[in-house]
Amino acid sequence: MKARVAVLVFPGTNSEVETRDLLVDCGADARIVHWSEAASLAYYDAFVLPGGFAYEDRIRAGAIAAHDAMLDAVIEGSEAGKLVMGICNGAQILLEAGLAPGTGAIRRPTAAFTHNIQGHFICQRVLLRRDAAAERCAIAAALPQDALIPAWAAHGQGRLAASSEHLEEIERGGYVVFRYADVRGATGAHLAPQGSALGAAALTNRRGNVLALMPHPERDAWNFNHLDRREGEDVLAPSGGSALFESFVTALERM
Amino acid sequence: MESRAYAVELKIPDNEAYTAMRALARLGIPVARVERADLLVIASDESDDMLRERIEHDERLFNPNKHRLERLSDMRPREGEVWVEMLDAPRSAPLRRLVSWRLFDQAGKPLGGEELDAACARLLCNSAIERAIR
Repeated sequence: MKARVAVLVFPGTNSEVETRDLLVDCGADARIVHWSEAASLAYYDAFVLPGGFAYEDRIRAGAIAAHDAMLDAVIEGSEAGKLVMGICNGAQILLEAGLAPGTGAIRRPTAAFTHNIQGHFICQRVLLRRDAAAERCAIAAALPQDALIPAWAAHGQGRLAASSEHLEEIERGGYVVFRYADVRGATGAHLAPQGSALGAAALTNRRGNVLALMPHPERDAWNFNHLDRREGEDVLAPSGGSALFESFVTALERM
Repeated sequence: MESRAYAVELKIPDNEAYTAMRALARLGIPVARVERADLLVIASDESDDMLRERIEHDERLFNPNKHRLERLSDMRPREGEVWVEMLDAPRSAPLRRLVSWRLFDQAGKPLGGEELDAACARLLCNSAIERAIR
């Protein structure tokens, strides 16, 4: 039986269709679940929180959604070991909910993806290098070590920020799963286009079943995403960003 | 240079304040009304009239169709009020931008200290990136 994945939609979410489609292409039984259907979430094996502007970023990006009834089910599921992935605004929600890095209490965040250093929205293609051991995060475990995943950084608030103590704990505990990288795979804080601390693009939790990822791999997942594709290429063929979703579905199949 | 604080408040219904009230109520905090304002703390030698005019003509800060501008008589939060500022915002900048939240209970009284602390810690201020000024 295919793994059942709920793609959560809050008022203001806007990337649910391509997220659901990519999960389906990778072999999951993925369905969109709206905020009024929180009671149905227990049925699912895993949760994906896509990008957008949940609740219009009121108070802070992700702050209201982190207290939504949908998150009650996600928190309960993550504590039971279900996989949870948040992309862009979904990642901001997971940090506000304290699910990633999860170094504090639930709903008492110890870090945030906050305003870019340049003070405005950015949109650019980036490369992400898996920088944590396979056993550290189940969702990325099927990717080769040092894999480079293409994605789109499209956010106004994608800069990881936390106190120096918490950043040290995040680094020491191996919570950074992906870092911004150059084409040779080199990483460094200077490669984070928005000034993200530790050059971090994605964080996991202590247990390794949650992934909060700022850039969008689902926007570089099919050939039709590439303006430079060659004549005659299959536009629906998978491209680089799909590898992370394949790894996510592989992890679900192994559970 | 003298520092002065101005509140830019919505004169149309404030959906963000309403959403905050609903979320706080869901957290069990007994709040019946929330007022929100953007605070501008400005260090300047200009007269109050000149400063007001500058703010009211800066479209990044003020839209006359939906905002009202008030100079605060005090440079600290009132009863039931908290100011939230980004931790990495320089406190000596000529223009500091903060957010004011003022919470009231069912009887219209400003919320007390313990309840205001809970509202800050649980929703209004992410202490990883923001400071709450009481």
